[in-house]
Amino acid sequence: MRDKLLTIENLKTHFFSDDGIVPAVDGVNITIKKGETVGIVGESGCGKSVTSLSVMRLLKDTPGRVVGGSIQFKGKDLLSLSDREMRNIRGNEIAMIFQEPMTSLNPVLTIGRQIKEAVGLHLGLEGKKAHEHVIEMLKLVGIPRAEEIVNEYPHQLSGGMRQRVMIAMAMSCKPKLLIADEPTTALDVTIQAQILELMKKLSAEEETAIMLITHDLGVVAEMCDRVVVMYAGKVVEEADIYELFENPKHPYTKGLLQSIPKLREKKNRLGSIPGTVPNPLERPPGCKFAPRCSEVFDLCREVEPELLPVGADHQCRCLLYQRDLVKEA
Amino acid sequence: MFQYFIKRLAGIIPILMIVSIFIFLFVHMIPGDPARLVAGQDATQQDVESVRKQLELDKPLHQQYLSFVTNMIHGDFGHSLKTKRPVIEEIQSRFMPTFWLSVWSMVWAVLFGLLIGVVSASKRNKWQDYAGMFGAVAGISLPSFWMGLMLIQLFSVKLGWFPTGGLDSWKSYVLPSLTLGAGVAAVIARFTRSSLMDILKEDYIRTGRAKGLHERKVVWDHGLKNALIPVVTMTGLQFGFLLGGSIVIETVFGWPGLGRLLVDSVSFRDYPVIQSLMLLFALEFIIINLIVDLLYGVMNPQIRYE
Repeated sequence: MRDKLLTIENLKTHFFSDDGIVPAVDGVNITIKKGETVGIVGESGCGKSVTSLSVMRLLKDTPGRVVGGSIQFKGKDLLSLSDREMRNIRGNEIAMIFQEPMTSLNPVLTIGRQIKEAVGLHLGLEGKKAHEHVIEMLKLVGIPRAEEIVNEYPHQLSGGMRQRVMIAMAMSCKPKLLIADEPTTALDVTIQAQILELMKKLSAEEETAIMLITHDLGVVAEMCDRVVVMYAGKVVEEADIYELFENPKHPYTKGLLQSIPKLREKKNRLGSIPGTVPNPLERPPGCKFAPRCSEVFDLCREVEPELLPVGADHQCRCLLYQRDLVKEA
Repeated sequence: MFQYFIKRLAGIIPILMIVSIFIFLFVHMIPGDPARLVAGQDATQQDVESVRKQLELDKPLHQQYLSFVTNMIHGDFGHSLKTKRPVIEEIQSRFMPTFWLSVWSMVWAVLFGLLIGVVSASKRNKWQDYAGMFGAVAGISLPSFWMGLMLIQLFSVKLGWFPTGGLDSWKSYVLPSLTLGAGVAAVIARFTRSSLMDILKEDYIRTGRAKGLHERKVVWDHGLKNALIPVVTMTGLQFGFLLGGSIVIETVFGWPGLGRLLVDSVSFRDYPVIQSLMLLFALEFIIINLIVDLLYGVMNPQIRYE
């Protein structure tokens, strides 16, 4: 068993809007061990990005607020740290890369300046040493002519190159945890593979754990040790990567897996999950997935299932596997 | 960059030519007979006609325009019809007071405007924001003659720190420049606030925070550098307006500036002075625009002048 690095327990992040309170993250538990890559999968609006922003405490300027639960990182409760202590962790021990490489870099500052900021802040490197470290990082992420690129501006680089810069920036202080929020979604398929390969290589070399947020199960299969499937602000299934792909339990996970095309099977139509994610203001009672579920039965609409073990290192939130509970009810 | 600069400088000449045509036509459309004004109310028709001939006002318009332009190219802007002094002297003595007053007003305006704008944007919907925007609305809506009189009352009459008017020393600049700068500061503050508030929603601001930067650094370094780009345009325009002189401020503070010269000249139909002043204002705007465009290139690396 590897040491626990990040433990999210019963996290609740709500958004306060004029129409009401939106429980974007509604009691989420996720554990990430040292050096492990954990995929967080789900449709848009399931709360996966909000979970990551809660960990980074970057909900400022959004109407969102963490209202319950705890986030332990290396034994420290991130939610109770002062702003100053949190800044020392951000970009240093926990780094983050975002979905949009085109807009995630400041257009009026040079690449070098933007990476140097983190290096100066957390490693205390200044001047020539900082410059050398930046060039080293740029070379590490496979950027050609690194010496020139440091003095260039983001608009002079392609999307793939910018995402490499983001990775260089994130990895520049050797973080223990890298949160990657859809890091390849905005990139060409060929570039996607390169970026994933790079993240894999760096995390192996530096023993960096990765929290990989994506809606792409192909990316998950490529990268992850473990997968957490989220739906409507809750974790609905969690398992080892092989277990999940070979033996999915939750109807939602099954649906997601059926929607991936497979080379060896000849099918005329891909599977799809009917309906859409429920409006978070009007989530149904009982199981949140019930209205779209192919295996739904009456009790699903009344009783909210718990996240319970269904096998070794495999948990699922579905009444199908909770017959005892159902009988009791 | 240098080539671009030269190109733009050369571009000023045709613009000035076109502007001069419009100015010439507009000035001649002002009703009233300048020859009659120069000759005086009691002059006979004959006197008026001889004055008209002397001033070459009897010639066809295009000839008048041609001699206006030719003289100007030779540095001769004519003589004021009212004072008979060369126009260039009339303007020179008024230009520097207006210029320095505008510069000082801009210094206040940029200083206070940016500060209020940035604080308001980063403390959105908190008391700092409300206080800042209350000040800005007051700055825009309080009439400048009233604000000027209040400042005179407080700082000149009561406290005796600054002169009540006129132009004697650096102290004379303080009150009029504060009065003039208040309105501009308010505009800059509101502009900076809205621009910065948009910028603070950008992804790269979140990147800055994710790096562990202090919020102050995120706002002033990453935010403001981007937010300033539209603010600079607006500030340049405001400076252009200030350089035209302000009749209200000049009247309240007894300031020897261009605003009063222009109004006096218009009421006297002093064609040579009006024409030269308008040409000067046009030139000021052209130069300010050029400076603003060059500043763009410095501030926004995506704009490169080749």
